[in-house]
Amino acid sequence: MGTEKKEVLVSIRDLEIKFDEYVAVSNVNFDIYKGETFSLVGESGSGKTTIGRALMRIHETSKGDIFFKGKKINQKVGARLHKELIKKMQMIFQDPAASLNERATIDYIVSEGLRNFRLYKNETERQQKVREALLSVGLLPEHLTRYPHEFSGGQRQRIGIARAMVMEPEFIVADEPISALDVSIRAQVLNLLKKLQQEKELTYLFIAHDLSVVRFISDRIAVIHKGKIVELAEAEELFLNPLHPYTKSLLSAIPIPDPRLEKNKKLVVYTGEEHDYSEDLPKWKEIKAGHFVWANDAEEKRYRMQMKIG
Amino acid sequence: MQDSRFEFVTVDARVAEEIEAPSYSYWQSVSKQFFKKKSTVILLLLMVVIILVALIQPELSGYDPMNSPNINRPEMRFRGISLQYPYGTDGVGNSVWDVVWAGTRTSLLVGFIVACINTSIGVVVGAVWGFSKAIDKVMIEVFNIISSVPYILIVTVLLYTFGRGFWQLILAMCLTGWLSTAYFIRTQVMIIRDREYNLASSCLGTPMLRLVSRNILPYLLSVIMTNVSLEIPAAISTEVTLSFLGIGLNVAVPSLGRMINQYANYFNGYPHLFWAPVLTLALVTISLYVIGQTLADASDPRTHR
Ligand SMILES: Nc1ncnc2c1ncn2[C@@H]1O[C@H](COP(=O)(O)OP(=O)(O)O)[C@@H](O)[C@H]1O
Ligand SMILES: [Mg+2]
Repeated sequence: MGTEKKEVLVSIRDLEIKFDEYVAVSNVNFDIYKGETFSLVGESGSGKTTIGRALMRIHETSKGDIFFKGKKINQKVGARLHKELIKKMQMIFQDPAASLNERATIDYIVSEGLRNFRLYKNETERQQKVREALLSVGLLPEHLTRYPHEFSGGQRQRIGIARAMVMEPEFIVADEPISALDVSIRAQVLNLLKKLQQEKELTYLFIAHDLSVVRFISDRIAVIHKGKIVELAEAEELFLNPLHPYTKSLLSAIPIPDPRLEKNKKLVVYTGEEHDYSEDLPKWKEIKAGHFVWANDAEEKRYRMQMKIG
Repeated sequence: MQDSRFEFVTVDARVAEEIEAPSYSYWQSVSKQFFKKKSTVILLLLMVVIILVALIQPELSGYDPMNSPNINRPEMRFRGISLQYPYGTDGVGNSVWDVVWAGTRTSLLVGFIVACINTSIGVVVGAVWGFSKAIDKVMIEVFNIISSVPYILIVTVLLYTFGRGFWQLILAMCLTGWLSTAYFIRTQVMIIRDREYNLASSCLGTPMLRLVSRNILPYLLSVIMTNVSLEIPAAISTEVTLSFLGIGLNVAVPSLGRMINQYANYFNGYPHLFWAPVLTLALVTISLYVIGQTLADASDPRTHR
C-alpha cells in the first residue's frame, strides 16, 4: 500500500461498551480504510462481536466515538442518516442456524431490507434485485419460495450474505462467517466473500478467532484480548514482527503443515503476568508507521529496540 | 495420466444447489400433523356436534329460565328418563335436556368470547411489553399488583359494580383477564428477542411492529395455541363457579353452574339431574383442552416431518 493517502471509512476512538456494570470492551481505537479487509482476531469472549454490533448500532456504547464517513453514529441519528447507514453498513452473522427467520420464505428474508425503505420502483424491480442477489451467491431463483430449514449450513450462510448484498452496502461486518460451517465448505464461502469484495468494492470488518484464517484475506489485522485491542498492524508485518506477547501466543497456536516442525514447536502461553502495569500504565502506541501496540513506556522502549534489531 | 477405465466428470454447480424435496407449506404440515391422531379427530367431531346442538337446540326448545310452563302441573315433575325427556324433568317440570343445552350454549359462548378477547389483548400487549424496556418497568408493577389479588375476587367485585348479566360477566372477566396472557407472552418474547435473526432484521431497519408480527409472533403461534386451549376451559370454569355460588349470571340467563347448584339438592333422589350438567361440562372442557393441545403441538414446526 505505502504512503498514498487512504480514505478512512470507519473510525473508532476510545470506545467503551458496558453491559450494566461489566465493561466488555474498552480503549478501542482503529480506522478502517475504504476497500480493505480489516480483521479483528481474538479468542471467544474477547469482545469481537460486541464491537461489530456496536458498529451496527445494535449495542449502545458507554464512551468514545464511532464515525462512518466522518459522521458520528453511536448516538441517536435522524431518519435520513438511519436509512443511509442501513443501506451502507450490513452484517453477516456467525450462526447460520440462528440468523434466518424460520417462519419466513427466502423471498421475504432477502427482500426485508428493500421493503423497509422501498428501495425499488415497482414489484418487478424488487424481484429483479432479489434474483440477482441470490444468483450472486450461487443460489437459484427457484429457492425464493422455500423456507430456511430446507437448506444446508453453507447455503443458509449464503442466504445471509445475499440478504446483506441486496442492500448494495459499502461496508460489511462479517462476524466469524465461516466458523460455524463444515470445514469442507469454508473455502467456498470465503472465496465468495472475496469475489463479492472485488466486484462491488466492499470494505470488510472480518471477525475471526484464529489468525490462520485471516492471514491471506486481510490487509490489516487487529488482535483483541479481554476487551482491549493489544496490537494492530498490516497482515504481513504482524506475522513477521509480532510485538505483544498475546499476539505471539496466538501465532504459536497456528498449526504448521509439517509434522516435524509441528512436533518441535514451542507453544507460547500468555497469562497477562508478563506485564507490570502497577505504576507505568499502558497506552495505545504507534511503534512503527501503522504498527500499534498496547504498551507502557518501558515496554515501548523494549519493542522499539526489538524492531531495530529484528 | 491416461487410463481408459476412468473418465472426467464435469460438476454442475447448479445441480448441487437444487432441492429435491417438495415445497414446504406450513399450514399443510400443521393440518397433516393434527389429523394424524385418531382420538383427537373423534373429539373434534364430537365438539362440532356439541357446538351445533348447543347453538340450535335451545332455539327449537324455546327454553327460558324465567318461564316454566309446567310449574303448575305436578305430574310433569321429576319424570324419569324417556325418549321424550332424555334426561327426565326437574322439580318445576322443565325438560333437563333443554336446560342442559341452553346452559352449555352460555358456557361455550362465555368460554370462546372471553378467551378470544383475553388472548388478543394479551398477545398484542405482551409482544410490545416484551420488546420495550421502558414499558416493562411500568407494566411489571401493574402486573405484580393486580396478580397479587385472586382473579375470582376481582371478577366478583367488578360484577357487583357492573351488575349481573351476560355481557357484564364478559366485561368483568376480560378487564384484567388478559394480564396473565400478556405476562406469559412478554417472557416468551424476551427469550427470542435477542436471537440473531432478530438482530439481522434490526440491521435491515425493520420497524418494531413488523418485527413483532413477522419475527416474533409466528414463533409463538404454538404457545399461543396452548394458552387458548387452557383459557377456554378456564373461562368456562370461572363462569360455572361464579354462577354456582350465585354471583355470576343473573337468573334470566341459563347456566350450567346454577343448574348444578339447584340439582345438587335432589342428588339423593334423582342423581341423574346432577350428573347431566356435570358430565356435559366435563366432556366439553376436556375435549376443548385436548383439541387445543393437539393443535398447539401441530403448529410447532419441530413436530413436522
Ligand atoms: N448482551 C450481553 N449482555 C451481557 N454481557 C454480554 C452480552 N453480550 C456479550 N456479553 C459479554 O461480553 C463479552 C464479550 O462478548 P462477545 O463480544 O460476544 O465476544 P466474542 O464475540 O469475542 O466471542 C463476554 O464476556 C460476554 O459474556
Ligand atoms: Mg462472537
